[in-house]
Amino acid sequence: MPDWSGEIARCLSSVKVESSREIEVVEELSQHLDDRYHELIAAGATDADARQTVLRELNSDRIPEQIQEENTGNKPINSAAPRGGKNGFLANLVQDARYALRQLRRNPGFALVAIVTLGLGIGASTAIFSVIDNVLLEPFPYKDAGHIIYPRIHGASQGPDEGRQGFSSDELLAFAGENHSLDGVIGTADDPVLFKHDDGVEWLYGADMTPGSFEFFGMPALYGRVLQAADYNPGAPPVFVLRYKTWKAHFNGDLNVLNKVFVLNGTARTLVGIMPPRFGWYDADVWIPKMPHAGMSLGFAGLPERWFILGRLRHGVSVAQASADLTGIVNPLSKLRPQDYPAQFQLFAVPFGHSGGEHLESTLYTVLAAVGLLLVIACVNVANLMLARATSREKEFALRAVLGAGRTRLVRLLLVESLVLAFAGAGLGVLVAWGALKFIVATMPPDSIPAESVIGLNAQVLAFTMVLAILTPLIFGLAPAVQAARRDLNDPLRDAGRGVIGGFRTARLRDAAVVVEVAVSLMLLVGAGLLMHSFLAMRQVRLGIEADHIFNTTLLLPPDRYKTAGQVREFIAPLLTRLKSIPGVTDAAESSSVPPNNSRDSRIEIAGKPPEKQWRAQVQNISEEYFRALHIPLEMGRGFTTSEINDARKVAVVNRKFVSTYLSGEEPIGRRVKLLELDSIQDSPQEQFFQIVGVVDDVSNQGAPGYGRGGLQAAIEPQVWVPYTVTGSGQRSLIVRSSQAPMSLITDVQRAVWAGDSGVALMYPDALEQMISRRWYAGPRFIFLMMAIFGGVGLTLVTVGVYSVLAYTTEQKTHEIGIRMALGAERKNVLRLIVSKGIRLVVAGVAIGLAVSLVLGRAVQAELWPGVKPYDPVTLVSTILVLLVTGVLASWIPARRAARVDPMVALRRE
Amino acid sequence: MNGESVTRHLSIDFGIGLRNYVDTPHVEGTSVTPELEWKKVSAELLILSLIEARPRHGYEISKLIEQRSGGAVTFYVASLYPLLYRLEKRGWIQGRWVEKSGQRRRRYYRLTPAGHKVLAAQRRGWKAFVEAVNRITEAEHA
Repeated sequence: MPDWSGEIARCLSSVKVESSREIEVVEELSQHLDDRYHELIAAGATDADARQTVLRELNSDRIPEQIQEENTGNKPINSAAPRGGKNGFLANLVQDARYALRQLRRNPGFALVAIVTLGLGIGASTAIFSVIDNVLLEPFPYKDAGHIIYPRIHGASQGPDEGRQGFSSDELLAFAGENHSLDGVIGTADDPVLFKHDDGVEWLYGADMTPGSFEFFGMPALYGRVLQAADYNPGAPPVFVLRYKTWKAHFNGDLNVLNKVFVLNGTARTLVGIMPPRFGWYDADVWIPKMPHAGMSLGFAGLPERWFILGRLRHGVSVAQASADLTGIVNPLSKLRPQDYPAQFQLFAVPFGHSGGEHLESTLYTVLAAVGLLLVIACVNVANLMLARATSREKEFALRAVLGAGRTRLVRLLLVESLVLAFAGAGLGVLVAWGALKFIVATMPPDSIPAESVIGLNAQVLAFTMVLAILTPLIFGLAPAVQAARRDLNDPLRDAGRGVIGGFRTARLRDAAVVVEVAVSLMLLVGAGLLMHSFLAMRQVRLGIEADHIFNTTLLLPPDRYKTAGQVREFIAPLLTRLKSIPGVTDAAESSSVPPNNSRDSRIEIAGKPPEKQWRAQVQNISEEYFRALHIPLEMGRGFTTSEINDARKVAVVNRKFVSTYLSGEEPIGRRVKLLELDSIQDSPQEQFFQIVGVVDDVSNQGAPGYGRGGLQAAIEPQVWVPYTVTGSGQRSLIVRSSQAPMSLITDVQRAVWAGDSGVALMYPDALEQMISRRWYAGPRFIFLMMAIFGGVGLTLVTVGVYSVLAYTTEQKTHEIGIRMALGAERKNVLRLIVSKGIRLVVAGVAIGLAVSLVLGRAVQAELWPGVKPYDPVTLVSTILVLLVTGVLASWIPARRAARVDPMVALRRE
Repeated sequence: MNGESVTRHLSIDFGIGLRNYVDTPHVEGTSVTPELEWKKVSAELLILSLIEARPRHGYEISKLIEQRSGGAVTFYVASLYPLLYRLEKRGWIQGRWVEKSGQRRRRYYRLTPAGHKVLAAQRRGWKAFVEAVNRITEAEHA
């Protein structure tokens, strides 16, 4: 007599039944099967037939679950709670949830894949939403931040984000006094502060604030008070307000510093207030009261003061109306000082709420779209897994229906399972988002987000995650649930699981899901590919300098002691000599700016040519070793000699662009150029014509993107270099080339500076190469990295998706494959059958994805380097290849498994 | 005759709308509301009835159902035992291993007092239901 206990035990193997109870169940069922077997034999069946019949009757794999339900510690449904009414609903829900958990425990592989998939999708979306919420939606804690605007003067030839954002005191006063569209106008100006303490001096980032600034922002001080109207009265005691972060860093949060006197830029000022942590206006360390005065006023380094202006729109006034209003105010001023206005300029009132992540905005929305697609892939993947499972669970559902479960109940059961998955996925997603945010904050381009914004998981973001957790099951759970419930639930009981493989409609739905996944993944990968291409193109841009091994820093000279060119030279010339004596240092130079930063812009005239209003060039003041230090090649003539520098001769070196723009076809050496900008600076030289002695190769001078400049993709501008000794004004930076690691020089450089004057501080000490990497490459690298990560994750999910569908189909078709092989099909035919199905799905997805990518290509156009087209063939072809290879690989394993099927085993299979 | 019979037999003849007709039996600590589907109740009714007079083992129950229904209703091992365990869990029936000389021990199921009450209630409900159906169908013939 056959021993059934093995079969029964196998049926129960996945069930957690108490072992003593399991033994009883096996015994009882064995007896039943024995009786049945004997009955069949007695009726004339052969041994084999009887065995097969008995096993078929047993082989409803729903036995385990039914038995578990009755044999675990769970209370029976009916005695636990009344089934009707709310309580019954809740009790059912709890039971469904418990059942769902048990289901997932029983299929740890499925549960893991589903939860990780959802966790990645939800986590990535939450992380990016956090960034967008904190950087773009609500970056500023200021009063009515949505109505704050700032003016920008924009020339007809400038790019959309370029233009002048700094305004003279006259302009500021005119805006404040004459406008009809704004409630309150304030100005802020740079004011680097030398802060003297017991250990020496250091610089702090200071900001001059006009009256009413703190009332404008509407934030009270955390300790002490903010600046008040009385602080601006002539003769009022000098005061300042400190930033929270700086207070913590410099004074360890000591409250005793309040109302103490500190020497800032040589003035004794009382610290009257410490601002709350989120107040970081202008990213300044200290805020100092300053009254704007009509006429030319000088600010930092003897340069004309430039105010960044903010205004708050009056109720009901649009941005366009404010722009028109302010344009009317500057028009007469532009006649008085035409050199401050580009030709055919316009004035725009720019909403300030956006200025936080202005140049990051499109990037972030692109990335958000990408994670949205990723979430779609994740949901489709899980829906697909659930569809496949729903098919294999048809018999279970049928049995449930027989035992009294209605269709709604079945749908609910499946939805509850989805919800359990989604909540587990959301839980994991919060962890993923937490980690991802740390990574994002670390990779984000510095200075690209407002100082006020704090990126983190906040309440809104968590609410967003919860919405996702509730919505995703609707997307991925509803289709399989309805699908399962719509089928004739009795069908599956009629056969033993052979023949009707999942049903035609279900199979088609699963295939469609894979096609959608592939299409979405293609879009992501094309985006990532284009951005990579774009990033590489950007890295190809020649800067015109060799930035490696360069240490650079800006000097903060006490303004009272360094007013004239002579005073500056007395300090700089010996300093450069001392720097060159540092071991390893090969060149040391002084410069008013460091490329690829831009220099001051000036109108120019060339002797012998009629003056053209449009002629402009950037003017940079340098010492004689500047070109050598940065390895800028000389094309014609020569550089400056030491005596030319020391004697402040009126000589100039120009770039190639200057020659091709203004002296095309002419001999540049010996020509004389007049720099009109020089008449607006302190101690301007009397004779403004400079004789050109040399021409150098073009050097990037377009500044960093997002600071009103075009960045590396803008055209290089004509440039003129003159000796730094011609004026006492302007910024002073040191450029030091060394054979050692640049940052190892910092102490030696500091010592060399203090050997000349212990009151001079170093600002922004940095390695030039790193500085360029951070400010110029970090932005594009960030978006490319994000897209590459999301594209990679998407591709992984697609691989899992294609694999799971094919593996499932293959598994279900084992019987069919067995028949085919029994009828003479060869292994390679079977292999081809499965792989070609995989390829068909991928090709269909690629076709759809390609079409959509081409249509949506314009969306990423703004993020692309000029010259990289959205339909870049290299990117498209390589992406398609990647997906096809992925498709073949994902099909290969199930296909090989199918080809190894033993026809006899397959045919016997139930 | 196979597994589909039980479902087909019951589900084709009576529509879903009739399910609420089943009376609600009240048993100590237990209640079965009209929502409990009639199909389920009828399967339970069959089993409870068969062990009302004397305890029986599972195979015996399945054979009796098949024989008395003339093969129209069949319970296979896959559906019978889960149902038995469920009824036992609810406290309506009780299984006990009984050894008879010369035989392997068998598990016999007998009705508990609670089971008696449920059976009585289910019978009443079923009777009322059948009568109602008869009244309807006979009225058509009249």
